Amino acid sequence: MKFIDMWKPALATMAALVMLATGGAAVAQDKDPVVVGYIGSFASDTGLSTIRGAEIAIDELNEAGGVLGGRQIKFVKADTREDVVEGVKAYEYLNDVENVDFIISGSIDDVSLAWLERMAEYKTPTLDTWTSYVGIIDKVVQEYDKYKMYFMNIACDEALATLYIDFGKDVLAAEMGYKSTVLMFEDTAFGVSIAGLVRDLLAPEAGIEIAEEIIYDANTVDFAPLFNKAVDSGADFIYLVSSVRSQVPASQYVKLQVRIPMTGVNVAAFGQDFWNDTGGLGGGTSTLSPVPSVGMQLDDRTAAFIEKYKARYGNERPIYPHFNGFNAYYGIYSAFQAAEAAGGFEPLDAWVEAMENTDIVLEKDGEMWFRYAFWKQGEVEPRTGREYTHNIKFDVTEPFDDGSPAMVVVQWYEDGNVAVIYPKKFANGTFQEPSWVQ
Amino acid sequence: MNSTLRRGIYGWIAFAVVMVILPHVVGTGVTRSFVFAMYLAIFAVSWDIMSGRTGYISFGHPFLIGIGGYTTALLTYHLHWPLFLSIPTAVVITMIGGTLFFFPALRIRGTYFALVTLAFMELIYGLVQVIAPNVTGGTRGLSGLETIVTGAIPNYYLALVVLLVLGFTMWLVIRTHIGTALSAVGMDEDAVRASGINVTRLKLFAFMLSAFAAGLGGALYVHYLGSIAPRALFDVGFLFQILVACLLGGAGTISGPIAGAFFLTFLLEWLRPYFPGPERFLIYGAVALVLYVYQPNGLHELVRNGLKRLNQLKLSRNTS
Amino acid sequence: MLQILVQGLVLSGFYALIAVGFTLIFSVGRVLNLAYGSFLMLGGYIYYQGAQVVGLPKFPSLIIAGIAGAVFGMLVYRILVKRLSGNVVAVEIATLILAVVVQAAVVLVFSPSPKSMWPLVPGVLRIGDASVTYNIFIAAVVSWILLGGLFLFTGMTHMGRAIRAVSMDSKGAVISGIDPERVNILTWAISGTFGAIAGVFLATYTQLDPNMWVTPLIIAVAVVIVGGIGSILGSLVAAHIIGMLETITTSLIAAELRGVATMLIIIAVLLVAPKGLFGKSEL
Repeated sequence: MKFIDMWKPALATMAALVMLATGGAAVAQDKDPVVVGYIGSFASDTGLSTIRGAEIAIDELNEAGGVLGGRQIKFVKADTREDVVEGVKAYEYLNDVENVDFIISGSIDDVSLAWLERMAEYKTPTLDTWTSYVGIIDKVVQEYDKYKMYFMNIACDEALATLYIDFGKDVLAAEMGYKSTVLMFEDTAFGVSIAGLVRDLLAPEAGIEIAEEIIYDANTVDFAPLFNKAVDSGADFIYLVSSVRSQVPASQYVKLQVRIPMTGVNVAAFGQDFWNDTGGLGGGTSTLSPVPSVGMQLDDRTAAFIEKYKARYGNERPIYPHFNGFNAYYGIYSAFQAAEAAGGFEPLDAWVEAMENTDIVLEKDGEMWFRYAFWKQGEVEPRTGREYTHNIKFDVTEPFDDGSPAMVVVQWYEDGNVAVIYPKKFANGTFQEPSWVQ
Repeated sequence: MNSTLRRGIYGWIAFAVVMVILPHVVGTGVTRSFVFAMYLAIFAVSWDIMSGRTGYISFGHPFLIGIGGYTTALLTYHLHWPLFLSIPTAVVITMIGGTLFFFPALRIRGTYFALVTLAFMELIYGLVQVIAPNVTGGTRGLSGLETIVTGAIPNYYLALVVLLVLGFTMWLVIRTHIGTALSAVGMDEDAVRASGINVTRLKLFAFMLSAFAAGLGGALYVHYLGSIAPRALFDVGFLFQILVACLLGGAGTISGPIAGAFFLTFLLEWLRPYFPGPERFLIYGAVALVLYVYQPNGLHELVRNGLKRLNQLKLSRNTS
Repeated sequence: MLQILVQGLVLSGFYALIAVGFTLIFSVGRVLNLAYGSFLMLGGYIYYQGAQVVGLPKFPSLIIAGIAGAVFGMLVYRILVKRLSGNVVAVEIATLILAVVVQAAVVLVFSPSPKSMWPLVPGVLRIGDASVTYNIFIAAVVSWILLGGLFLFTGMTHMGRAIRAVSMDSKGAVISGIDPERVNILTWAISGTFGAIAGVFLATYTQLDPNMWVTPLIIAVAVVIVGGIGSILGSLVAAHIIGMLETITTSLIAAELRGVATMLIIIAVLLVAPKGLFGKSEL
């Protein structure tokens, strides 16, 4: 008797819970949420940019009454810690445990490459917002049926480099009068491939000779011998390509007051936090950046996104999203636009076709400013003469009215301001040599 | 057959039975995690046979696994070799290549051995990036490698068969006089040598066995992943997992490292829903550290002590 | 040529500074402290917090980093190493796990984004064609002073002689009335301080990031292997061999082979002279 008494409340609670659970299930049946998964790092600025961009877009869609006939979007996340094998585990987790409908990724090159095979197996629609590795796009081009569920809404590195050569021609050669350079790049796949493109195109296209090439170990502690070698070569400037530990060459350049200017690719300078992180040692650094970059003027819709971002995250770093934060925001819109058109994320072919037809055009002062659309199978980019299936529809020629520019060049000035210096259409600043260069 | 051996074999049979049934009981997510756990267990067993008893602590095991992985990856990806040729070749190359590099190092004792093997790992990490990045894929590695079987369950059984065969064989080996001799090397190598045992041959044997398991495990692993990258293999984080799996489980026991590998893999997965972010790895590391400092001889020792205490309890109850 | 000489010398001095704390523990305690890189990382981050975030002057920040290093060193000894004493392998593994834990903690507290810092001493020293930052030049000088001081300390003072005695023969030291516990605690504190100070120089010269503990650990390991266990002089010479070799490789041969050259020399030395060039068993 006493036993039953003691357990009565517990039994009652359990019964209530069971009812709640079953009742809950019944309600959920007609309004199952759509599950969007995030794969990428949880802690890095780039990872957080993708997470936050996606979160803001998802909240907007949910507040506007949901998607696909009033269903809410549930956002789930899996951490890769920028580790290759953790990436594979995270991809499996999102599919097997969370049963996601769509994945948005803030992964780096080798992590994306690692989970790509799982993607082909699960056939989950996936959008990459950070890696720009053209090798992944090549896979889509070559084995369309296997990888067709993959989209990348940042211009691939080859497009970046193509437009970047024009910066050499229009600014470095024509305006600054530079004739020769030292190509200094890290011995990573990224460094080697970008350097290869620069090497092939710089002299014929821009008329700048490469006086010397320096390939360095990414863990180099002391750049003094390298900078000495560069200055001794007698070249007019240094062309740096650095993606790993990029603050080391950038800040040692300032600390050593190297006597010739330096430009190039410096991944560390992509974020607004660069200035604080370097304690102001970033002056003079100029780098190509995927769009939308820091210091770039924005159209109204994107500006509203930034207002929301700032209101929501305040001083938590990154204080301003990296390019992939924008890509994630619009990427969620593209994916759901396609899902609405295709009636959902399944069947896959219908969604892929709809996704290929999405087109978000953002105008500023009546001109095309950014565009989120994708290259279709078989479409050839006229300047490079090749296909970029499922890469963002970028543009590498003036007047940039077919798509977003593949990249812009930004410069950090010694007073901590940052501005876009190329192409002209987007520029709000000019290229300047650091004060210590004679 | 003595009673501990018999009990051990029963243990293996029970383990095999449970593992065979498991995928039909748990979800796909758990099955997938088990595949990773089993590959880690294979690497842990490979480490254990060489280092667990002898005191020759290998910090370069990812180096051996990497040779196996890269060999088969390059052969299948570039030369389109079939898997049934490339995987055995990878195993052989691992054994040869490993011997060329490692065996001279076995002359060096104790701590220095650990350091030189660590240097090997760093060396090969540097070389993969520098030498022929067009072939190796450089830092990005290669993706789209052929898979042996697809899907969670077939891969589960493939890994299970390999783990059971390798694990059980090694477990038997350490129960012979070879195991005893390996332990003796760990205590006093000179004494073992003085007693007339050919220590060099003994070490070579243990090393070959270890390299065989590492090469085979590494080759199958990259075909399971479908991709290979320097950071996935020649990495302190990967080394950390292998070492900690062995030592948490109980070095020198073969069964301990398997348990350790399972524990570590699932610890991370269990933590994921509660701590999805970077806290997960902090807790994971802290748990490993506390457990290890509490019992450096690992889970195996804890279980053995527990059983001993139980027996004593029974005995005392019987006598009273 | 002058450039290579100057830059090589300076880098070598810097490497000696990085390695000395590691050597010290190796020779006295006979254990490998694989968490040594974390000493440098913590020193760097604490200095960053003080000098760049809170806005303290540089020198007090450096002192705070040094004290924090000493405290951390003593904690590692008390909590981990002492408990596992006698089991060399267990100490190696436990300190490796600790290093990974510290890395995870740094990611959590400071975010994984790299940070660079103003040099401790700004400016560039130009000797002929060679330019060297004052920062790394001072680091080299500090390393000479610290190493010299350590040499004198172990030779002249009572405590220093005790350290040396323990490093030669710990049992014998106990018999002659030395308290090995005090010696060990002191050694770990010194090692922690040296590590943290080296970390400040390393971080102000390169950058701060949660992976930064690996590179100095490898450098320290290389110096110890080439120099031989527990020889201060050996470490100094080895640091110069490695530093010069790296500078020559970087500026004359191929910059991308920098790390490879170091690894090759480690392997070569181990195979030819397994005890290092100056291998002996005491300080």
